[in-house]
Amino acid sequence: MSRWRPGPISIIVFVAALLPMCELMLPQSAHITEAVRGVFLYAILALGLNVVTGYAGLLNLGIAAFMAIGAYAFAILTCEIYPFQFGFWPGLLLTLPIGALFGFLLGAPTLRLRGDYLAIVTLGFGEIVQDVLKNLDTITKGTQGINPVPAPSFGGSMWTADDEYKWYYLLLALMVVVILGVRNLERSRLGRAWFSIREDELASRSMGIRVERIKMLAFSAAAAIAAFAGGISASMLSSTGEPSNYDFQVSVLALCIVIVGGIGSIAGVLVGALVMIGLNSIVLVKATAALDALGIGAQGNVLLSPNNWKYLIFGLALVLAVRLKPHGLVPPRIERRAS
Amino acid sequence: MTALRASAITVRFGGLVAVQDVTFTVGEKQIYAVIGPNGAGKTTLFNAMTGIYEPTSGEVQFAGRSVCLTFSTRVAVRIALSALACALSSLIALNVQDLWQATIIDNYQYAQPFPWVESAHDCFDALVGLMRSGGAWTAILGGVAGGGAAAVLWWRSRRTPDLIARAGVARTFQNIRLFNELSLVQNVLVGMDHRMRAGFWSALMRLPRFHDERKHFHSESVELLTFVGLADRADYAAGSLPYGLRRRLEIARALAAKPNIILLDEPAAGMNPSEIVDLMTLIRRVRDAGTTVVLIEHHMRLVMGVSDRILVLQYGRQIAEGTPAEIRANPACVEAYLGTESHG
Repeated sequence: MSRWRPGPISIIVFVAALLPMCELMLPQSAHITEAVRGVFLYAILALGLNVVTGYAGLLNLGIAAFMAIGAYAFAILTCEIYPFQFGFWPGLLLTLPIGALFGFLLGAPTLRLRGDYLAIVTLGFGEIVQDVLKNLDTITKGTQGINPVPAPSFGGSMWTADDEYKWYYLLLALMVVVILGVRNLERSRLGRAWFSIREDELASRSMGIRVERIKMLAFSAAAAIAAFAGGISASMLSSTGEPSNYDFQVSVLALCIVIVGGIGSIAGVLVGALVMIGLNSIVLVKATAALDALGIGAQGNVLLSPNNWKYLIFGLALVLAVRLKPHGLVPPRIERRAS
Repeated sequence: MTALRASAITVRFGGLVAVQDVTFTVGEKQIYAVIGPNGAGKTTLFNAMTGIYEPTSGEVQFAGRSVCLTFSTRVAVRIALSALACALSSLIALNVQDLWQATIIDNYQYAQPFPWVESAHDCFDALVGLMRSGGAWTAILGGVAGGGAAAVLWWRSRRTPDLIARAGVARTFQNIRLFNELSLVQNVLVGMDHRMRAGFWSALMRLPRFHDERKHFHSESVELLTFVGLADRADYAAGSLPYGLRRRLEIARALAAKPNIILLDEPAAGMNPSEIVDLMTLIRRVRDAGTTVVLIEHHMRLVMGVSDRILVLQYGRQIAEGTPAEIRANPACVEAYLGTESHG
């Protein structure tokens, strides 16, 4: 074993852990921890997508559907209007097998599809799940969404939205757990098998890799992680929100995070989440606020508000990333070693 | 002991007969060469033997047994379970809201322990009700679809490349197929994959078993890279290797599976004469280590130099089989390669 040196992942986590303490010294208007929670949440979602799309090379455009499944499963398991009434932790843990089951259900009939065809099926799955959730209103309360979804409680008292820093550290910790899990899988026999089917499916099959099984594991693992993210988000918002909160835009945002950050790279996903979500809910929001404060803000003109430019900026980021850094901001390790 | 026996292999693509009625036997620890002009069906024969194509007719046996997933109790159970699951889920999908209403909502009032047993009864009653009101046909349809899908899946995966690889047959490809973005060590480790036992959970939890296995296979893969002379580049990406060395890596990856038989598809293509000499030594060393070698090759010096026996194909038919000396003396083979002498 070589001596441990801090890699990009541990540096990011370390900085994130110190952030709230630094922030306390700043005025309220400069606080960003609440927005950074969104970065963590999307990082978890994108880590899931990275397993199926980055490692196994199976383009999945419906990852938000699994997030929705996780959110609704968590809500049904924990909310007081249903009889199950699990606590926060058992409920959150159960989102993993439930997500994996739905990943299996999507994966099983699509195993032989490749590339574009698979992408279209997953896209359709994303839409179907939204529609099903909307229309099964006896179970899911339709477009109302399920609420209240409980927050975690430690030692009796349940958290509220005011416990900003507790939420921050909880999300950071859950993200670290997911990172460790994904990293352990990546650097194992399974991770290698995922890479090998991404590189050359026939060759890996001829080396004795059971391609179907390995693909199913990728699908299920990704779905489980996305459902986990869904459970966390439902708890954080104390509601599942309406089904259309988990639409195609969420899937595309997760995909952008993976592509901009570096497809198949954990550190890349973290950086990608920071760039994309940071842009969305920190830079643009603060810029809008700053412009308003200076008196040169939107004032009714939608074109002048930076917030309304976000999809243009996302698109631009994606084009620039693919053009200038085709392997992402933090490409996976092997590739760097080769050059 | 025979390592490989192919009997009356025919591969047909629509109207085109790529391989017709080819029969041959490879003894254990032999070096066996398949030669023939371009388009003679050599690679097709390899693909049919390794499960990439299903031979139209004929049988391939490795070490006296045909590698095939026969219909067993396990397969039957799997088909039955799949049928049952699909029948049940199509029944539920028929009216999940009423089911939920009857099972959960009607039984649930706040602040009262939920009557689980009663709820399960109601669920069963609701399912029976659904069956009565025309749901039975849906369930049957779903069951047939599910069972049928599982049966088709089994039928199509009776003889897949991964099954054959697991039975101890490794191969290389004519147009090198490495995992370019993986390092050399990782390429070799993929070849070892089916000898590994630590699965998902031991990888996720990093159980001691995982560490033991990793240490063991990592050192073995470095040994193997030393064997083919690539150890100094172990951590480079396979895509960064020059052409000649890629073939060596592919051989190392195939050897990593500890196969009984290794099939090499044109291992010397694109190599210069000195590389070919190295390759001949390598092939002999592989055989001396106890592996049967079957190879397709165009370089006659290599074929004649290393082979114990040779099979000659032309237009998909076998025109000769024998020792190098016999083949060299066979007029049909000379004709196939050089064309007929014109008599004036």
